Amino acid sequence: MIPELQPWMLLIVAMIVFTIGLLGVIVRKNLLIMLMSIELMLNSVNLCFVAFSRIHHLVEGDLTALFVMTVAAAESAVGLGLVIALFRTLRTVDSDQIQMLRD
Amino acid sequence: MILSLLILFPAVGFLINGLLHLMAVNSKRKISANVSGFIATAAMVASFGVALYQFLLLRNIPAEGRIFEQTLFNWISLGKLQLDFTLRLDSLSAVFCLVITGVGSLIHLYSIGYMHDDETPAKYFSYLNLFCFMMLNLVLGATLPHVFLGWEGVGLASYLLIGYWYRDLEKVAAGQKAFIMNRIGDLAFLLAMFLAFRATGTLDLLQLQKIGLEPALVLPFGLLIFFACTGKSAQIPLFTWLPDAMAGPTPVSALIHAATMVTSGIYLLTRLSSVISSSETVLMVIAMTGAVTVFLSALMACAQTDIKKVLAYSTISQLGFMFLGCGVGAFDAGVFHVMTHAFFKALLFLGAGSVIHALHGEQDIFKMGGLMKKLPITSWTFIMGWAAILGLPPFSGFFSKDEIIYQSLTSPHGSVSFFILAVAAAFLTAFYMTRLLVLVFFGPSRVDAKVAAKIHESPMLMAAPLIVLSILALVGGWLGAPVHVGAETTTESHAIEYAVMGGSVVMALIGAFIAHKKYGQTSKAEKVNSFLLNGMKWDSFYLCTFGTGTQKIATGINTFFEEMIVQRLIRWSAVAVDLSGNILKIAQSGSAQGYLAMMAIAIFAILAWVIYGVGQYGKL
Repeated sequence: MIPELQPWMLLIVAMIVFTIGLLGVIVRKNLLIMLMSIELMLNSVNLCFVAFSRIHHLVEGDLTALFVMTVAAAESAVGLGLVIALFRTLRTVDSDQIQMLRD
Repeated sequence: MILSLLILFPAVGFLINGLLHLMAVNSKRKISANVSGFIATAAMVASFGVALYQFLLLRNIPAEGRIFEQTLFNWISLGKLQLDFTLRLDSLSAVFCLVITGVGSLIHLYSIGYMHDDETPAKYFSYLNLFCFMMLNLVLGATLPHVFLGWEGVGLASYLLIGYWYRDLEKVAAGQKAFIMNRIGDLAFLLAMFLAFRATGTLDLLQLQKIGLEPALVLPFGLLIFFACTGKSAQIPLFTWLPDAMAGPTPVSALIHAATMVTSGIYLLTRLSSVISSSETVLMVIAMTGAVTVFLSALMACAQTDIKKVLAYSTISQLGFMFLGCGVGAFDAGVFHVMTHAFFKALLFLGAGSVIHALHGEQDIFKMGGLMKKLPITSWTFIMGWAAILGLPPFSGFFSKDEIIYQSLTSPHGSVSFFILAVAAAFLTAFYMTRLLVLVFFGPSRVDAKVAAKIHESPMLMAAPLIVLSILALVGGWLGAPVHVGAETTTESHAIEYAVMGGSVVMALIGAFIAHKKYGQTSKAEKVNSFLLNGMKWDSFYLCTFGTGTQKIATGINTFFEEMIVQRLIRWSAVAVDLSGNILKIAQSGSAQGYLAMMAIAIFAILAWVIYGVGQYGKL
């Protein structure tokens, strides 16, 4: 029998998704994949908000999740723009090639 | 009160001549020696007039109250230390003032002739006036710091005048040597001053004499003061600067290095006699040093070939007599000898200057001879000086020197060994002075033919001071011991006194006779003992111990401390910094993902710590 969905299960899922997102940002070299991983992390946070909202019977968590989605949309638009600008100047989206911070 | 005029005149002369010199340098013109010499001499004569007037006034007052005092201004105001700039004239300083201004005036006058062809006479005379100003401060100062001011001031003037012909590096070095040797003694003076202030809370000389020091402090205080005096008065062990100081112009040697500055040690000892004479040890050290100096420097004088160096060693020897006098408690005899010595030694130096002037700078006594006919005034006055320093009656040296020799035997502090050394020195004095006299003025002429043709007697400006001084050298002794300070020793037995007198005169005559026999007909240079010629190698000794020794210590510290420890420490610390930098550099990869990873790890670590803490204690 399938157990009933409990809020703490959502938190477990959120943790897993967040970890995947974080590892993706750190490990993957493609800027686009890194952006996607950031989105993953944001969404895992959203999941947390919703779960805690459920646990504590508050509506603010759900509302905040909506805000985060809006900001995430804007952020990914800016992020993609930056990636395109970088690609135009450097002709690459490989993060290993982009090490101007050291110099 | 006109006491301040005494020091004011030389100060004004110094300023005027100094400004004249600066103007001359700026406008590239030459100030005539007559002009600046006249200003300086007038200042000194005026000062002498004041000194004489004050001296006569002083004589009219009963002996207990013989003190004039004038406070000019508050000098130092520093908590417990309150010092006024006070001039104080008593019979001791009056004698010194008369000698300084009197002999000083004559030497200023003589300098006009001697420095006639000099490039910068205004500078010379301003230095000379500065010296007299400082010397008067030394003897008139009412407090120890005031005396110290003069003490340092005369050292400065002496340095400036020894190195007056500064283009000759040897003369500059001689000036520096004099300055540095004096500085060693000055340190002792400073320490003595600190000691006195700590013990009594006052630096006023009169109060210091009244209060005195605790018996335990008299010994260190006396020895420090005495060591200071050995520097200024050129006694063993600090005497080596004086022969070199002869590099200065001859009138300077006469004024500073014979008549006045070098006697300031005697002044200081006499001034503090009531404080220091309570310690037997101090007196014995003074007397011993004096006696040894008298004898050794007389021995060294016998081997000198430079006319001024003979006189320089002779000065050291005569100063030794004065110290011997002070050391056996006969301070008044010492001061008496200061006065007579000022007359006849200034006379001898000025005579030597006259000879050097006539021979156009020749100073080697083996290149002189037979000058009697050509320089009659110089010769006769020189002979008067010779008779005075030998102590032949009735010349001045006879009275003062025999007083000291007599006291060295009969005084409660005296001893037979002091007496023997003093008499031996008197014998040697007669020997080297007669040697000098005979070699310079008598016998066959050994002067270079080129120079011989141009020999001339000195001008009247130079001859007049010689004549005046020779009269003073003749009659100076009749003034008697002019001051009575320190421990008075009564002459209970005239028989001993006459015996000592006769004995020392006979010794002097024997010395003179031997010298005459030996050098009467010398026609070529004598081979002198180089050990004695070089002042018994004291200089080499100092060079080996203090000069080279210090250098060796410094080199040792350099190799063992600097190179082995300090430099290695620096090198290894540099290596450590380099290494740690290289290690930490790895983290600075420049890759944003690397930084992110580090950040993530750090956050996890902190989180883990926080969560662990919450689990452990229930709260943060």
